[in-house]
Amino acid sequence: MLIFAISDKGGTGRSVTSTNIVYRHALQGNDVCYLDFDFGSPTAGAIFSVGSVARGTTRKGLHDYLLSEVAPEPHRVDVWTESDREGLRTKPPGAGRLVLFPGNEGGGELPAVDEEALRRCVQLFSRLDEEFDLVMVDVSAGRSFTAEMVLQATVRLPSVPFRWLVFHRWTRQHILAADGLVNGADGLLDVGTRFGHDRDKLRDRIRFVRTAVLEPDAAELVGLRDEQRAWLFACDTELRELASRHKVGRTAMLGKIPLDPILQWREQLISDEDVLASKIANAETAAAFDDLAKKIVDDAAWEGL
Amino acid sequence: MLVMGEVHTGLLQNSGEIPESTCRDVLQLLSGERVRVSRRPIVYAVSPDLLTGVDCRLPSASQSRIRGAGTVLSRSSITGGRVVQGSSHTRIERSGSDRRQPWSHYLARPGVVEALGKAKPRDLADGFAEEPSADGLDLGAISARFMDVVQSSPLLDRRAPFKIARTRLRWVAEPGEPAIHFTLHSDQMRTVRLVHTGEFTPAVVDLCEDLALHDWLLTALLVIIERARIGGTPGPEAAAKLAPAVDHLLHLWMPSARVDDLLSPYWESLDRRPGFTRQWQSLVDRVRDQLAVHTLAFLREKSGGGAR
Repeated sequence: MLIFAISDKGGTGRSVTSTNIVYRHALQGNDVCYLDFDFGSPTAGAIFSVGSVARGTTRKGLHDYLLSEVAPEPHRVDVWTESDREGLRTKPPGAGRLVLFPGNEGGGELPAVDEEALRRCVQLFSRLDEEFDLVMVDVSAGRSFTAEMVLQATVRLPSVPFRWLVFHRWTRQHILAADGLVNGADGLLDVGTRFGHDRDKLRDRIRFVRTAVLEPDAAELVGLRDEQRAWLFACDTELRELASRHKVGRTAMLGKIPLDPILQWREQLISDEDVLASKIANAETAAAFDDLAKKIVDDAAWEGL
Repeated sequence: MLVMGEVHTGLLQNSGEIPESTCRDVLQLLSGERVRVSRRPIVYAVSPDLLTGVDCRLPSASQSRIRGAGTVLSRSSITGGRVVQGSSHTRIERSGSDRRQPWSHYLARPGVVEALGKAKPRDLADGFAEEPSADGLDLGAISARFMDVVQSSPLLDRRAPFKIARTRLRWVAEPGEPAIHFTLHSDQMRTVRLVHTGEFTPAVVDLCEDLALHDWLLTALLVIIERARIGGTPGPEAAAKLAPAVDHLLHLWMPSARVDDLLSPYWESLDRRPGFTRQWQSLVDRVRDQLAVHTLAFLREKSGGGAR
């Protein structure tokens, strides 16, 4: 299965959330890979703590694969052996493969979608689908040629299942922007339909994920004054109404990730050790990733809206 | 001088095995050319040979820049209606001239790449075992494409019973005192260095494809057994994870089935060490024993439940 991760704007936590989802999915016993299609800033290597590709690879990256004349076999990084973090460097018993395909260092956004790049993209997805249970593709923020390319590629792979995750933060602007990215003019549905997707079927394959969510009843808010808490509660109610008016409400939501201080300071994988041993991460955050890693392949969570 | 090739092997992207007639249709890559099929001891279908023109740098362990021009021979095949291979090879020869010839010259010698410059066979062979450089001869890329053609056929449903990586076997054959060296590199990469007496024959290609096929079967079975986590998961769960091996792989082991009698000593030597068949047999026994143990446990549970 192909999963495309996109966000309405930059800085939503799309990359850190999607990497944590594939990490959890691998721990659950599946073979997974992560494709850094955020060609403008390929930083997935840093999140997986693979220093040699922290800002993309200097070898043959995905950018080369799609755009260079010879389409070399793209560089693969086995996270279980190449991560600099000791806790990640041993594959836990029962875990599946966890492979990162980095972008090119200094690659730059796709200048356009040409037939050759599209053909290679289809070939890559098709080969990886043979090999991995889950292929997570980080598509970058907002409307882009990359998003257009993968929408076209999936039209040509009718028997390969795919899903989209749209990451957004829980604020007024982000809710409106997430709605626009999917339902607006030249949004995913418009562009997808133009290239041959069925609008309703495509909509059924898109779900929203809220990031850095602060629940009004969260433990972190205990120190707040009553007035502040009442205000937050009112805001949250208002946002819920706004979200459901804009089809970004509960039914279209796959999950939410609570605000975790650790992720505000450093984008990284949250291991069970971070929760249980060093206790730098919240158990709720790890549980939210774990839950999402199950839900992305759970058909019940993806029934028609 | 020497012949080099690369074989890619993987699981056919279909829910079940496909019959011989579908194999023929899937492998009909060139209209007018026949797909060859042999039925005993296992159904094996192979596409006609196709040519790819190349003009690129030749591999070299000493990083010499030697240009080569000519054609590569490739084919796709399906074994047992279940395993796909894409295979390419070319013979490297010294060019009679220092200058690049017109394509008509190379097309008249299918499957030959002429080296323009001073190429040493040993240097070429050593260099071939490494990853090709960006402008280098990449037989793997060609073989992968010949696999893609099969895997993306509209006649397949793309619902393969399990996910599994393709393996790549890169081989070099030189004339000399007979010997064979098989090396496992990363998860997917293998190399074979083969020395044969007398002239190179296409039977060497068959041998390398047969080796690649059986190495893939062994690799796939190991992966399935690892995923089952015998002893680490409850019996029924482990048994369910082993089932695809029984359904799709165990009957495919036919070492040396298509190997010329003259070359079978190579297979026999690899079967002694590292011992492909020995490892395969012990894994097969393990799978069957696990299933037997699980069946017994199931029956015991059932009869115990009935008594209560």
